[in-house]
Amino acid sequence: MDFSGVISNHYGAFLAGAGMTVTVSVVSIAAGMFLGLWLSFGLISRNRPIRLPSAAYRSFWRGTPILVQLLIIFYLLPEIGLDVPPVAAAMIALTMNTAAFQAEIFRGGLLSIRPGQVEAARMLGIGMPAIRVRILIPQMMRLVLPALVNETISILKNSSLISVIAVTELMRTSQQVVSVTYRPLEAYTVAALIYLAMNLVLARAGAWFERRYAAAR
Amino acid sequence: MEHKPVVLVEGLHKRFGAAHVLRGIDLAVESSRVVCVIGPSGSGKSTLLRCMAFLDRYDEGRVFIEGRLLGYREVDGRRVPDSDRNIDSVRSVIGMVFQHYNLWPHKTALGNVTEALRVVKRLSRREAEAIGMETLAKVGMEEKANAYPARLSGGQQQRNAIARALAMRPHVMYFDEPTSALDPELVGEVLEVMQELAGEGMTMVVVTHEMGFAAHVADEVVFMDEGEVIERGSPDDVFKRPRSERLREFLDTWRARTI
Repeated sequence: MDFSGVISNHYGAFLAGAGMTVTVSVVSIAAGMFLGLWLSFGLISRNRPIRLPSAAYRSFWRGTPILVQLLIIFYLLPEIGLDVPPVAAAMIALTMNTAAFQAEIFRGGLLSIRPGQVEAARMLGIGMPAIRVRILIPQMMRLVLPALVNETISILKNSSLISVIAVTELMRTSQQVVSVTYRPLEAYTVAALIYLAMNLVLARAGAWFERRYAAAR
Repeated sequence: MEHKPVVLVEGLHKRFGAAHVLRGIDLAVESSRVVCVIGPSGSGKSTLLRCMAFLDRYDEGRVFIEGRLLGYREVDGRRVPDSDRNIDSVRSVIGMVFQHYNLWPHKTALGNVTEALRVVKRLSRREAEAIGMETLAKVGMEEKANAYPARLSGGQQQRNAIARALAMRPHVMYFDEPTSALDPELVGEVLEVMQELAGEGMTMVVVTHEMGFAAHVADEVVFMDEGEVIERGSPDDVFKRPRSERLREFLDTWRARTI
């Protein structure tokens, strides 16, 4: 075992890899949240031409493996004339994927808000866009916070899959370290510990938000 | 000037699938009058009120609010659903109070009252809060302005909900069983606020099980059963001289329960 050698010679690479992992994950979660919010209202729409495509999108992205989605996006984009770097393809695939999962989380949260609250708002003349932004989404976000933290952790871990399209994030970095040090056990253990540390920070942040919102009630 | 009732209901029918819930209701509510709708559970009285607000679509008949048709537009003699914008405009003179208050739990008592003032009337925070505090004071809630609904009793929540509706200066207030979800000792404080409103000349339609309130405050009492108006008249007529068997039975059950 030679942890100190692996770490001291390559910590810069590990940090850069972790930085890429965080960047891709944060961008995907944020963009996926925006898309997922629209999609969740599509899923509960009474309007079939809106609801059915929303459900089809959700089913496809929830029902196929991320690795497959990633490779399809990666090879599809150049086919349709979009020459984007692998990292962009990775972000697009992860965004599309998490949007489906987040939409389901949001849908569950929205359904637990009593419809009477919307009726009261309608009777006061408040339009649907304002009802969504000011009444439904703030309440729903508090309800789904634990599930949302789960999904974020999930995406952060699954971002390791983008190493297959040559994005130099944490996973690919550790593979590169292995190829020069021949120390696979040490390198992958270091990667695992970095993933764990990032996720523990995420979980703590989630718990902090939960407490804060609980106090505001 | 032509005289128009604040609310006019003509030949209203409503079906939920096979259930024929409203079977031709006519109702006129004149300005400053209080109309109480009573009847057994499932008689259609809440559905009537909801149709009068177009929270439920009615199938046949018409609802006019200050002379304007609510919920539909007539195009070449055919009836088509109206735009949300027009519905909002016709509805803007109605204030509604619900059985379960329907306050927004993430907003304070004051926040619940100022929300529509800010979003719909586009008042500044300052103006909205001034009106909000004034309206909360009217229902005896000014000291609870910064409390969230979860910290309020049922009676306080319902008064908060009344203030929320009143702040928009409605011409008519609808109450849908406003005290049915309350613990008995909290009913009085809500009825008091409603009685005060009636005394100030507010036009009101109240669906209620509170016969005492109907007897003392109503100008007209409407008794419904199985989707029809069975009897209507002054409180004295309806409570002391019921003509139909169904109303007599209903009043007997109610009296047996309250003793």
